[in-house]
Amino acid sequence: MSQMENLWSRKLSRDLKCLFILCALMCLVPLFDLSPYTLGILIIGFYFALIALAWNLLAGFTGQFSMAPAAFAMIGGYITALLSYHLSVSLWIGIPAAVFGSALLGFLLGATVLRLKGPYLSLTTLAFAEIARVFIGNSHEFTRGDQGLNLPTLMESRIAYYYFFLLLVVLVGWLIFLLMRSKYGGYLLAIRDDAEAAESRGIPVVRFKLLAFTISSAICGFAGCMYGTFSQLVSPEMGLIQQTGLIISMVVIGGIGSLTGPVLGALLVYLSSEWLRDVGNIQLIVFAMLVIIFARFFRTGLWGICLSLYARLKPVKNN
Amino acid sequence: MKTEPLLRVDSISKRFGGNQAVDHVSFEVPQGIILGLIGPNGSGKTTVLNMLSGELFPDEGSTYLEGRSITRLSPSQLAHLGVIRMFQMTRVFIRLSAFDNLLISGRALGLSAAEAETRAQSLVKELTLEQVQFLDAGQLSGGQKKLLEFGMCFMCPPKIALLDEPFAAVHPVMRETMAEFIRTRNQNGQTFLLVSHDMPIVKSLCHESICMNTGRIISQGSTRLVLEDPNVIEAYLGGDHV
Repeated sequence: MSQMENLWSRKLSRDLKCLFILCALMCLVPLFDLSPYTLGILIIGFYFALIALAWNLLAGFTGQFSMAPAAFAMIGGYITALLSYHLSVSLWIGIPAAVFGSALLGFLLGATVLRLKGPYLSLTTLAFAEIARVFIGNSHEFTRGDQGLNLPTLMESRIAYYYFFLLLVVLVGWLIFLLMRSKYGGYLLAIRDDAEAAESRGIPVVRFKLLAFTISSAICGFAGCMYGTFSQLVSPEMGLIQQTGLIISMVVIGGIGSLTGPVLGALLVYLSSEWLRDVGNIQLIVFAMLVIIFARFFRTGLWGICLSLYARLKPVKNN
Repeated sequence: MKTEPLLRVDSISKRFGGNQAVDHVSFEVPQGIILGLIGPNGSGKTTVLNMLSGELFPDEGSTYLEGRSITRLSPSQLAHLGVIRMFQMTRVFIRLSAFDNLLISGRALGLSAAEAETRAQSLVKELTLEQVQFLDAGQLSGGQKKLLEFGMCFMCPPKIALLDEPFAAVHPVMRETMAEFIRTRNQNGQTFLLVSHDMPIVKSLCHESICMNTGRIISQGSTRLVLEDPNVIEAYLGGDHV
């Protein structure tokens, strides 16, 4: 589509630039605080940012509300860990296997559930997520159950991990940008707005929902396996429904349907959850309330608020 | 040898629970005509259109496009074969600009980016949407949305356009724009199946018409004769007016 006329493409390009600026600012953080604790928190924030970007591709750009992003991250982590634990397969094979395995499982699940609409899709993906978590947790002989599995690390230095995860966020954001800027991205947006109208305009809706679901699952699986190499442990806790709740709150608070919003939301929500840890385990209550407030009053999230403030300030500046 | 009509509907029926919405309806749409499908509310017109556009599958009967069965094809498959549908309740992609709506409709049917852009620009002009083309479709007025959806149907000229109440709740000036658009396209060989309650428009546009009542065809033929048919007048206005 023409760069001159396609408004969506222009909005998306601006969004990507803002994501790059945010990531560039994050590059500077280690100059001020190099403590392993801070870096560790931010690395996990980037892990959530990757999953938030993947979930946003489904929910924000395609209108499909899956409840399984954390489960796919757990599955990705376990694919690499199981290959390493049972077959001593190196990470260089284990990581692509996690991406491919999560994508395949996402494809199979999507092919089964993506003809369902509205709450039924959410319910079936929620059921899948719980079944996967309980199955892994109970298969002691194969997965060591709740003890989890150890994974080798990719690099010893925490600062190297920090920049590596930051690079992954940039790359995943850029890949989603390329997809969304193409005609296929246009189809996904059309499906988000009105799936039946999209189908009648000639867009094979189920095929494109499946494409989005498969890509989203692959990104989640990749994020999960990367997290596993960082923490050197994968456990069924990665797939807890609370984790999915946290990811949804990150996207909704940050700004659903954008590239910058989910990353901003992931960092802010995860950092806040760490700060709130000191005042008791009330994070989820606070985030649930914030999700309700944002969903009711600020549907475009923090990122949308930033954009509307910028739009208001811009003419004043010009005058 | 009889030539195959563009669209053939062979005894299709559809039942919703205890309600027989369409009951063994058969008709043909020859190439290049504007066929009106009229009838009182609940007569089964939209259900027929839903079965022709793949939104619903008939319980019985078959539909054919140029002799090929299209009975169980999906809306997107039908769109690629040239059967394009405009809905009674306007359906556009509300969070995309009007221009992007047109572009996506063209790209989905195989136009290149450059072709889609050229056609979108020409349709925007023809349908007088220049002022609003870069607004989100959700911000357009009801009539403008109708015009936009109408334009989306013609990004890739279809073999047959199924238009469900395109003139409902549209400003008279916009209505005339749409009617003129249909006339011009029809002169170039475009076939239309038009569902409408607007009798003056049906009279002025449609070469032939079909009137349905309670799921059955009660009259068909030239529009003038159908509109004068006592069965049609009775169906619309009640027995006392015949």
